[in-house]
Amino acid sequence: MADVGVFASFLAAAAGLAIPLALAALGETVSERAGVINIGLEGSVIWGALGGAMAGLAAGPYAGLAGGAIAGTAAALLFGLFAVGLNTNQIITGTAVTIGSLGFTGAVFQSRFGATGLALELKTVPSWKLPLLSEVPLLGPVLFDRAPTFYVVYLLAPALWWFLFRTRWGLALRSVGEAPDAAHAAGIGVIRTRMLAVLFGGFMAGLAGAHLCLVHTGTFSENMSAGKGFIAVAVVVLGRWNPPGVLAAACFFGAAEALQYVLQAANADLPYPLFLALPYVLSLAALAGWFGRSRAPATLALPWPR
Amino acid sequence: MNAADAHGDAPPAARLAGVTKRFGAVVALDRVCFELAPGEIHGLLGENGAGKTTLARVLAGLLSPDEGQVEIAGTSVRLRNAADARRLGVAMVHQHFSLVPRFTGFENVALFNEGAWTPRGRATPGYRAHVEARAAELGLAVDLDMRADQMSVGQRQRIEILKALMSETRVLLLDEPTAVLAPKEVERLLAVLRRVARSGTGVVLVAHKLDEVLSAAGRVTVLRRGKQVLAGPARDFSARELAVAMVGEPVGRDRFSDKISLESDGRESADVVASLTDVVAGSPEAPSLRGVTLAARRGEILGVAGVEGNGQRELAAVLAGVLQPLSGVARVPSKPGWMPLDRGEEGLVGDFPLDENVALALHDEPAFRRGPWLDWSGIKKRTKALLADADVAAPGPEAFAATLSGGNQQRLLVARELDRSKELLIAESPTRGLDVKAARAVRRRLVEFARNGEPPPAVVLISPDLDEILELADRILVLVRGRLLPVGPSDRSATAIGALMLAAGDAVGRR
Amino acid sequence: MAQMGLRIARALQPVAQPVLALAATLAVAAALLALGGHSPADAFGALVQGAFGSWNRFLSFTLVQATPLLLTGLAVAVAFRAGAWNIGAEGQLLAGALAGVALAISWPEASALVLLAATFAAAAAGGAAWALVPIAMKTRMGVGEVITTLLMNFVALFLAQFLVQGPLRESRGVFNMTDEIPAAAQLAPLFPGTRLHAGFLVGLLLAGGLWLYMSRTPGGFRVRVAGASPRAAVASGRFDPARVVRWSFLASGAIAGLAGWIQVAGVTGRMYEGLSPGWGYTAIAVALLARLHPGAIVISAVVFGALGAGGGAMQRDAGVPEAWVRGTEALLILALLAVDRGFRAASKGDS
Repeated sequence: MADVGVFASFLAAAAGLAIPLALAALGETVSERAGVINIGLEGSVIWGALGGAMAGLAAGPYAGLAGGAIAGTAAALLFGLFAVGLNTNQIITGTAVTIGSLGFTGAVFQSRFGATGLALELKTVPSWKLPLLSEVPLLGPVLFDRAPTFYVVYLLAPALWWFLFRTRWGLALRSVGEAPDAAHAAGIGVIRTRMLAVLFGGFMAGLAGAHLCLVHTGTFSENMSAGKGFIAVAVVVLGRWNPPGVLAAACFFGAAEALQYVLQAANADLPYPLFLALPYVLSLAALAGWFGRSRAPATLALPWPR
Repeated sequence: MNAADAHGDAPPAARLAGVTKRFGAVVALDRVCFELAPGEIHGLLGENGAGKTTLARVLAGLLSPDEGQVEIAGTSVRLRNAADARRLGVAMVHQHFSLVPRFTGFENVALFNEGAWTPRGRATPGYRAHVEARAAELGLAVDLDMRADQMSVGQRQRIEILKALMSETRVLLLDEPTAVLAPKEVERLLAVLRRVARSGTGVVLVAHKLDEVLSAAGRVTVLRRGKQVLAGPARDFSARELAVAMVGEPVGRDRFSDKISLESDGRESADVVASLTDVVAGSPEAPSLRGVTLAARRGEILGVAGVEGNGQRELAAVLAGVLQPLSGVARVPSKPGWMPLDRGEEGLVGDFPLDENVALALHDEPAFRRGPWLDWSGIKKRTKALLADADVAAPGPEAFAATLSGGNQQRLLVARELDRSKELLIAESPTRGLDVKAARAVRRRLVEFARNGEPPPAVVLISPDLDEILELADRILVLVRGRLLPVGPSDRSATAIGALMLAAGDAVGRR
Repeated sequence: MAQMGLRIARALQPVAQPVLALAATLAVAAALLALGGHSPADAFGALVQGAFGSWNRFLSFTLVQATPLLLTGLAVAVAFRAGAWNIGAEGQLLAGALAGVALAISWPEASALVLLAATFAAAAAGGAAWALVPIAMKTRMGVGEVITTLLMNFVALFLAQFLVQGPLRESRGVFNMTDEIPAAAQLAPLFPGTRLHAGFLVGLLLAGGLWLYMSRTPGGFRVRVAGASPRAAVASGRFDPARVVRWSFLASGAIAGLAGWIQVAGVTGRMYEGLSPGWGYTAIAVALLARLHPGAIVISAVVFGALGAGGGAMQRDAGVPEAWVRGTEALLILALLAVDRGFRAASKGDS
């Protein structure tokens, strides 16, 4: 019985850790499919967290989620103006946006809530208990008695797959990432498509940040994004730029992290940092083609026109 | 007889009236008129750089003309982009870049076609069957599930054509469609195009290979240096007349010295500084050089004529020692001089000052080393000498290469490469894009170098410019589809070589 | 006369961009500070005071902070110069530090000189080894180095965590860090009474050496050509640019590895998981501000070191949160990118 309890709590923790990663990574999937790698995603996550916290404080948790998404989009807009609009190097621009966002969110937070950053208590987003589904033993409460952000992920992963691979706009978006010259010849607005994809990535990353403070922790602290934006980039690689795969990869990353807490709690003498490293190693292996051919969009990180 | 006749009084499918297009100082199209009737195959002929592709791109909405009018189906239009042209029923099959490599054939067809999608962006039910039916109707053998990057060139081209013909098409433009195809595939392509024309579509076949055009086209238009020089029913012209129209009669020119006669072939083999024997090079699946044999001798300018894309780049790279043959033997000097085709990207580094650009070629010569260090003052001195010697208009060795005009860049490049090798110089289109004065200076230097070097080196001149080859070369070879054809002494004329270049020898014989 | 003007223009051109970017950054930062209710003058004053206010502050804080930035900045510049986008200096730094520490604590009986040489070699090898995976994936499989170096950073971080929590954990077993390295392996202070260690000197020497190498030797010249125009490099027929890129990438990893070990040997004396606050990433800004010039990286590293060192003083004396410093760093990178684009557009418009 106790084992089942431990397992259930592990599952709950894994799902909780996977959701923000999945949110950000699903957005990044769209952006990378259009040929833009946004390392500034971390910046969108932290702005999403701060925006979520401030809007949540002012107008309640749901407004907080919206505020976070908007704040994340704004950070992505800055990135997009440089990397897509001015055609600057995507990696350097993303690094700058991340560094700056971590700094300025801290500055804003301190000027708003004091230098010590007194423990902020936020009203969290309530769980939506889905009828029937939440009754399923073990998985029900873990997956279907959770905040709405969970359901966003469940719905978005298949929806994005459908969008990317079954609709005209998805095909157009992928063509922009694979062969922008050909896309341009087909009359597709390459710059506009990339910009929109980046903004969507920022929106989702902002939602991920808002989730961190309004669902996961109920508070905001400086640097609370803790690399989630970077990890999301790795999640996309492991998920092979395919939304359902990305969701699975996010779950894997989440499980690896949850395992750490379970092992710590159980006082097991296991090298849990190695579990944390495992997803990254597997992402590298995926790039090396160990699990079949997996290639990044052909013009990922390349400016256009060259 | 002519398909165009059958359509009687219908307005032309497309018409250009007095169209001029400039790129900077270069006039690519000079008041060109062009008319395409519905249901005809119209051959658009001309040498490289004559303006054929520019004309096609204007019609396809990819370039907007500086002057003149574009009419589609009798209505004057302003095409802002490819999509505008597409809506009016103009489709273009490009030579490059128009398929998404990692998309399947079907995805590529769907990407470019409105009809594939419902207004809500979903795939039109039954579209796939529609595409298959259309392919069958046109006689296009395609695999819609294969990824474009795994297809052969011919397969890719058939997808391109299918893609273009999936919607109502008045005008189908094909830019050099036969350049990449094997003879058998060319025949199949022409059969498809005839079928397309029969359905009422006007087909423009941009080409520089006469025989193919003559076997398919009802009418022809010839461009030379941006001007329309000939137009009319194909049957009114002989291949010879077309060839002359395309290359122009050789104009009077100053000869720098007597040519070494071709009979000197039996000279001592010690004079051979570079030789290729049965060299095959390029990609293993479709080698660009397919068994090339040549010998470059001291004191001789060896001219390699031929239209670009027939293996010229690979020939230069093999001679320069930077491309290893797949088979065959290449004996080349270790550090030959090389004036590459793309002087701004390959010959020089635009972001580097001139002295560093000189160092690019000379940096590992003992004269420019001082122990482990580069002797920059020596290099600078040499740069100054080269600039003065070659009459380069540059502020000094510190000026950035990108700030020099094309002519001055090329003068520097000539000077540098001549300085570099006493054995072999490979010159690829050395006067392309230069004005008359600069071109003359470059040619003069090449001849002086080949004649007066101590000892005289070998020069391999690779150029599609026949005048230049005839003027400079002691011996001429023509590179066609990866093979070298010798030009006998009696064939030393623009028309004869032009005919060889255009691989029209057979057609001339037949007529 | 025209010659003279050109010379001056050419001498100023490389300086103009960073200066313009710095000015733009200061202006935007000042505006943002004012918007945030702070006095820009007070903030900048406190920052400068904190970074340069006294010899000791300058040596013990600014230059000590500049040291790892100098070394990682050089590492980044070596790779970027060759056109290899090594975003992995952070991981290479940790790998180098781990290699150095592992050797130092397992070989306490070695003499100072031997240990010094051996640990430096180990750290360089560790950093290079960490770069080897992305290099191999780039050359063998054509996988771009940007994502792989980024992923390797995280692997290094968790490997460091694992080692300091497990195999290399201090013998007391209290904190997650290694034992202190033997005194023989530690770098001596340069000036008595300050914290500035010999590692800064190593950075200076390396910067000077790289400057000479890049500008005066055939090898360095080839690195620059390979980065500026691989096609021209091939056409020159003198060398294979891909090979040059591989070696530069490897050297970049080795230098980043040195940066990690020098931080341990000169400042912390131990390895722990939070050794680097992200120097490998800031290094990108350091290298870009210096336009990848090894000599200018010394200045650029000091600027960033001063930002770091002065940030604390700014918070204490002007009440401006230290977090502003990071934000300002980012503004500087963005300004550099924008100015670079502007210059490019302008020079294109000319020709």
